[in-house]
Parts: sequence; C-alpha cells; structure tokens
Amino acid sequence: MKHKWAMAIDLDRCTGCGACVAACVAENNIPTVGEAEAGMGRLMQWIRVARYWDEEHAGANAVYLPVLCMQCERAPCETVCPVYATYHNDDGLNAMAYNRCVGTRYCANNCPYSVRVFNWRDHVWEKPLDEQLSPDLSVRSRGVMEKCTFCIQRIRRAKEAAAAEKRPIRDGEVAPACVQTCPPGALLFGDIEDPDSEISRKLSDPRRFRLMEHLGTEPRVWYLKRRKGAGL
Amino acid sequence: MLDRRQFLKLGGAAAFATLFGGCEKTRKQIIPFVLPPENQVLGEALWYASACGQCPAGCGVVVRVSEGRAKKIEGNPLHPVNRGRLCARGQAALQALYHQERLSGPMKASGPRGSGNWQPVSWEEALSLLMTRLKNVRAEAPASLLMLTEPMRGHEGLVAGRFMKAFGSPHRVAWDPFGRDALLAACEAVHGVRDLPEYDIANARYLLSFSGDFLETWVSPVHYAEAYGRMRGSRETVRGKFLHFGPRLSMTAASADRYLQIAPGTEGVVALGISHVAIRDGLTPPAAAAGNLMAAGLSAYSPEAVEKRTGVRASDLARAAKEFFGNQPGLAIGGTACGSGAAGVFNHAAVELLNALSGSAGLPGGVSFPDRSRAYARYGAERSLLAPPPESGYAAVRDAAGKMRKGTFRMAILAGSSNPAFTLPPAMKFAEALSNVPFAVAFASFLDETSSLADLVLPVPTPMETWGDDIAPVGHGGAVTLRQPVVEPFRDARSMADVLLAAAAELGGESARALPWKSMRDCIEKNYDGPGERLEKALRDGGVFPSDAAPLRAMRKGAVLPPKAPREAAGAVDPGKYPLALHLYPSTALYDGRGANLPWLQELPDPLTTAMWRNWVELNPKTAERMGLADGDGVTIASPHGKITAHVAFNPGLAPDVAAMPTGQGHSRYGRAAVGRGENPFSLLPEAPEGGASGLALQAGRVALEKTALPTRLVRFAHPEGQWKLSNLM
Repeated sequence: MKHKWAMAIDLDRCTGCGACVAACVAENNIPTVGEAEAGMGRLMQWIRVARYWDEEHAGANAVYLPVLCMQCERAPCETVCPVYATYHNDDGLNAMAYNRCVGTRYCANNCPYSVRVFNWRDHVWEKPLDEQLSPDLSVRSRGVMEKCTFCIQRIRRAKEAAAAEKRPIRDGEVAPACVQTCPPGALLFGDIEDPDSEISRKLSDPRRFRLMEHLGTEPRVWYLKRRKGAGL
Repeated sequence: MLDRRQFLKLGGAAAFATLFGGCEKTRKQIIPFVLPPENQVLGEALWYASACGQCPAGCGVVVRVSEGRAKKIEGNPLHPVNRGRLCARGQAALQALYHQERLSGPMKASGPRGSGNWQPVSWEEALSLLMTRLKNVRAEAPASLLMLTEPMRGHEGLVAGRFMKAFGSPHRVAWDPFGRDALLAACEAVHGVRDLPEYDIANARYLLSFSGDFLETWVSPVHYAEAYGRMRGSRETVRGKFLHFGPRLSMTAASADRYLQIAPGTEGVVALGISHVAIRDGLTPPAAAAGNLMAAGLSAYSPEAVEKRTGVRASDLARAAKEFFGNQPGLAIGGTACGSGAAGVFNHAAVELLNALSGSAGLPGGVSFPDRSRAYARYGAERSLLAPPPESGYAAVRDAAGKMRKGTFRMAILAGSSNPAFTLPPAMKFAEALSNVPFAVAFASFLDETSSLADLVLPVPTPMETWGDDIAPVGHGGAVTLRQPVVEPFRDARSMADVLLAAAAELGGESARALPWKSMRDCIEKNYDGPGERLEKALRDGGVFPSDAAPLRAMRKGAVLPPKAPREAAGAVDPGKYPLALHLYPSTALYDGRGANLPWLQELPDPLTTAMWRNWVELNPKTAERMGLADGDGVTIASPHGKITAHVAFNPGLAPDVAAMPTGQGHSRYGRAAVGRGENPFSLLPEAPEGGASGLALQAGRVALEKTALPTRLVRFAHPEGQWKLSNLM
C-alpha cells in the first residue's frame, strides 16, 4: 500500500505554546545544547515555532509559524548529498541514513527552510538521563546531520500493527509527536493518497499555502492561513 | 483484584513477550551498518495511564514504558481535562524522573542548616530521627507542629489534613504563588459561588479576554487551549472570535483577532465600560435587571471616561459591547494580571459582571460551576481536604512566618513544588524565620531553596512513581484521575503520604484511627475497588470517568451590582522615583520556577521574546529608546523592596512605561540547569500586598531601571530563514 504522508498546520489554531517542540525533543532523542551553544545558533530542535512581529497593522502583534522539515517532493537537500545519506523513501519521505552521513553540510546549505541541524559535537546524556532515550531510534554522533523525520518510527509502528492485523492503516492512526500533543489541534497528519482522509478534506480549504511555493520544492507540509474576523 | 506485585509481573511478562515474541512475527534480519531508519525493527512498549503533576491543572497522561523505563508522556485521550493533549511542561516531566540531581536517599544536614553540607543516612535512621521528634513534639506541645506544602488534592490531601488534625496542630498551610484568591472572591460576589468558574470556550461564539493567559499558564492551559482550537475551527459555520484587552502582548494576546492595549491594572474599568454601553444601548437581555446597575455606579463608566483612564478608544469599547452581546454565547475571561494587587477583586468582578449580563451563564458556551465535590461527597465536611479551593494561602504563610519568628513552632514539615523560600517576597524573610524552628524536615525530589533549609531531607518519588488520586480544578466533568506508578521507583524514595501513614500508625491512638491505611496504595485500593474489576478498569483508563456530566452548582439569579472601585492605596509609590509599572507573569516554560531545573524547559524558546536559559525584562521599544536602552542591554531593576539585574528584551506590544518579567529564573539552589540564570523577580515584590489583596501583587508594583553592564548575554532563537512577508502567512 502506497502512502503519501503530509501535514497541515492551521495557523488559525496555533497559539505558539511550544508543546510541539518539547514533544519532539522527548520523542526523538534530541539533545539540549546549553546556553553557550544555543548562542551560536546550534540548537538541535527539529521543529521551531518562528515568531514574527506583525508591524504592518496598527498595534504590534506576534504571529507564530511552526517550521519543520517540509518533506519536499523535490527536495533540494537530496540532490547535493555526495554519499546519498539523505534520500527519498517509498512513502515519499525525505529520510536520513545517519551512518552514511559524512558531514559535508551541503544539504543544510541547500535547504531554503533551514530545518536541518548539525551535530557539532558528541552530545552527552548524563546518567541517568539516558534512561529516557527512546530505543526506537539512534542517538546521532558528532559530524552527522539530522532533521525531522515525520516520526518515521511511529509510521513504522503503525505499519507493523496494521500488517499484523492484516488491514490497511486507519486514518488518524499515525501521528508524529508534535501532532499528537498539540493542545489546540493546530497540527494534522495523514495520508493524502487517501482522498477521504481528514487531511485530504482539510487541504481542500482555500486558505492553504506552502512555504516558498515559488521554489518548486513541493513541500508535504501545508499551512492554512489565519482567518480574519469580521468587525473589530 | 490486581495487586501491585501481579501488576508489575504482568507488565514484565508483556514486555518479555513483545521483546522476544515480537521477533517471530516481524522480519528477522541482521541490521546492516548502513541503515535506513524505516527498516529498523521496533520492540513494542506498554502504555500506562496516570496523572500529570507538573502544575495544578491536573491533566491525565499516558506514559510509554519500554523495558521498565518511561520513554514518552502523552495526554490521556480519555481524560476530560486535556483530551489527549499535553503542554511542554507536561512533556518535560520525564526529565525530572531521570534527573541526574534527583535525591537518591535521605540526607541529614551536617554543619549549620542551609550550609549545603549533607550527610547521607539510611531510611531507618531518617525515620527514627523523624519519629523521635514527632513524639517529643506531640507529648509536649502538639500545636507547635507546622506543615507547609503546596495545595494538595485527593487522598494525599486527606492524609495530610487528618494527620495534622489527629496530631493536634491547626497549623497546616498550603502556599501557591499563583493562587486565584481574587477570582474566587469575585465569583462569590457576582455568581454567588466561591469556586473557579468553568469557561466553555469550545462552544462560545465570542471571547473577551482581560489580560487573560488561559492559553499559556492560567488554571488549566491545556484544557482551555484544546477548547480554543475547537472554538476556532471545529464548527461548520461559526468561527469564534477573540478580543483581548491587556497591558502586555502575551502569547494568549497574540492569538486574539485583535489585541487592544490598556493601561496596567485597568482591566475592570474596561469591562465596566463595556457593560455601560450594553445597558445604555439596550443590548443585554431585559431579565438582567439592568436598570439598577446604572444607578448603582455603572453610570460613571461612560466610554469617554473609560477611554481617558485606560487608553481604549470609546468607539472600540462600543463595538466590543455590540459584538459581545450580539454574538452570544460569549465569555469574558480575566487572567493573572487581572486578579493582581488591590484592584484584583474589582477587576475580576467587573469581568464576571459581563458574564452575568450576557445571559449565557450556565448554558453551553457560557460560564458555569460544575460541582467537583460530588466525587468526594462521602467525606462530608472533610471533602475540602480532597478538593480545596485554589487559594494562594498568602495570609496563612505570612502568619506562619511571623509565628516562626516568635518561636511558636518546634517542628516544620515542608513539601511540594511551590518553594516558599524562592517564591515569597524577600521582605518576609522566610529563610530567616525558618531558622527559628528547631527542626525542619523536607519531603523533596530536589534540593531547592526551601528543602535546602531543612535538617532532614526525605526523597519523594516523582508523580510517575506514586499512587494517588486527583480532581482537576476545571474541565474535570466529575471525573477523578488516578495516579499509579508507571515505572518502579527509580530512586530510594517514599512518598510523603506513605511516611505520614507509617508515622500515624506508630504514633497510635487518634492518629492511627484517623489514618487506617497501610500506604497510599492501600488507601487508593480501598477507595476505588468496589465489586467487580473497578480498580483495574480505573487504572487502565487513568481515572473514574462518570458517564453523566457533573451537576452544576446553582448560580445567583437576578440583580447583580457593579463592583466598587478600590480606593487608591495610601502612601503609593512615588512614580517620579519609580517610573515604570511592574508586570510579573508566570513563565510559559518554567511556571513559578519549578521547571527551571529541566534543560528541556530552559532550552524552550519563549513564545514572545524567543529568549532561553536566562532572565529578561520586556520593554516597549519606544520606552527603551527614551531611556537610552537597546535590546539585550543589561539593566538593574529596582523596586522599593528589592533590586535585581536582567537583560532587556523588546516587546513592541507592551504598553509604554511597563516593565514585564517572567517568573521562574533566578535560583540560587535547584541544580546546575537552574542556578546562575539571572536573578529572582519575586524579590521585587512587597511583603504586604497593598489595599488588602490576598495574593502576591504580581502586577501592581513600580520599578526603576538603570543601565548596567552585565557579563552575560541573552540568547535568542532568531528565525534562521529570515523574515518572510507576513502578508503571505495570514
């Protein structure tokens, strides 16, 4: 069964709380780098909630935009990797084989969304913090590039559960950690190959747009614009 | 019935079966060196339901456990409070469980108290030390025992309450720096119910927020954020609209359709202005007996008069009134800033007056008061021990500190995350007062500012390792949440309730009669295990979720009077010397400071300033320019009560002449992640809240700023993709 995983981010619901960031860190063995490294722009988080100041309108306001790997169909990162460490898998995901990565950082350089993060050093989980590490995915070592995988381990888990019960994956059965936890339900995940899935219906909304659509990267992450209320 | 041993055995067996049985079902393969991640074979994990303990909201969680270790926390989809969702602080509870600085055994202070020198002792020795003291105190002066904790709910609260009563001491004090005293008083005055209101945001068509912070830290942020999402986007034809009044552009304000800046502390004036327009223009239902209101003082709040005091244009007020009363059901919600200082009760009552006038109170999409005491009705008068009102307990703490200084107490029991030595104003001199108590025992997982002052520290398990029950302050729907250990205690820890139960049995007499349970687990089992497999199901579900909704408490019908404006406090601070209004707000990541020892939360960029790992003070860029301050500059912030330093961070949506700071940083003890991150904003607060307000005056003080060279810098998370055009985003 072929899948086309996609995410929809409804900016009309997003409150900017950062629960997605914490959930991602917990799920994907993402290290904390500390104040000094963070000051050098070396945060390892795979999803960020970018905050913009809306100064075009009367009265300043903040606008939130969660940004993660767009899982581009025509990904600029893939074509520049000299060792095929980042590649397109059968579900159309932009996957990483960490063990192949030699750390050229060409991929990050070529990503218009700046969602790739690099392990500038070996990160240490002081004992017993390492007890929390998920056994479903590895801890990446120094010199390796990493980024959001759409929680590929969760997709895998759902596929195995479905295969064991000899049924297709149900709509809503897979949710990456960020989507699962999002308090206002701004994030939605699903299979756009299935025309009846919730995300397929959601993406028929004319509010939809993709980041930097003009680059032709064909992201699998769609955004839904904030709505403007009537009146005041 | 499933006892604990069986439960763990079954868990172990299931884990074993999935680990080894799993290999047969899935493909067998040697994992190649170059491994695409989707070909990894996964072991299956177990999920256990429990209750979150990171803040007082009381969300239900499920924890993924693999090989006996907790790996991931998610919201419990069955739980009515958070419906499967969880915030960043809830997610980070795992780091507390496996924290490298977690206390691993009892410790006795060696050298002077508070010196930070400890000597590990065995549990036998620690308990015998505790019992010797307890017995002495009970024999000689039982009323000289003080128990100072955070508010405790469920049977844990019952155990603590009964223990103190049977012991013979009335001095049980619960301290919560963000207690909702003003809101409770306002609800009593307006609705006739002294309880937290439940705002049905999901079904509202219109939301008026008055410095509301219900999406970030207030009362039950995940509950309200989940409902907010549904209000915005889950109905076919209605998108609920949201208007925010406040002095600070907060995370919640940023979600509003329109944010209208007001002068600090004038939330109530704005709300009364809206009521004034509604009655003047005949927008409210006639049943609300509106006419009397004008006579009773509302006539003074004409839009023009309100504009002068608050800065909100009269036309905006009029339109807000028209939209709010024309789009019912609607809600008016006040937040932390609204209930602060001398005007706190007035502000909240003015906001609740809008709810009373709207005609939607008690209806879907309106405000209501579901009765949470039903779950514990069998305890009669004692049920307030299990479901206490969410008060700050400020007056009681102050009273206790005074008594400590006078030498009233011979022994103190300290527990909980509200950390009084950190969150109380320094003018109260809590640490000094505590040093007059001859013996202090602290129940704690970490050495924070409070537990460091004890003679004896007894390590407690984290919420993920304990038995207990809980009822959430809002969104509970009558449900009781059950807490069970999802992993075996990772450290040699015993819960406070277990120690108190053991102590009561040893004390005998009245204590033993009042507390007949062997342990908290025994207590939970006896209370929730009826005929059949009730307990097993409840533990599997994460609580007892009744199929019918909790009955609503009766609200006052008929005439409501507008609240009386508070008198200007005598001897107010000189605005010439202290030109800026102080606005302290709970940090989205660290709350009152309890999250500061977790690196995940320290490294979570703040929603507004994107700052992390350090303290800052927000200023309006124009105010800063006038003062000659640039973004990132170091400043000294001085109030009449204290002086701290921080870095400037611009917030273009902050009212001019306001200095806003998040609470939570500035620890002197609490582990490596927490110490050395700036100074503590709580130390700017006065001891006596002005004008008889009963909580901390978080948003009522005044400060002066002075440029100061600091050796540190404020790290911000800039967006690396640069600034795209906003018109493409909206």
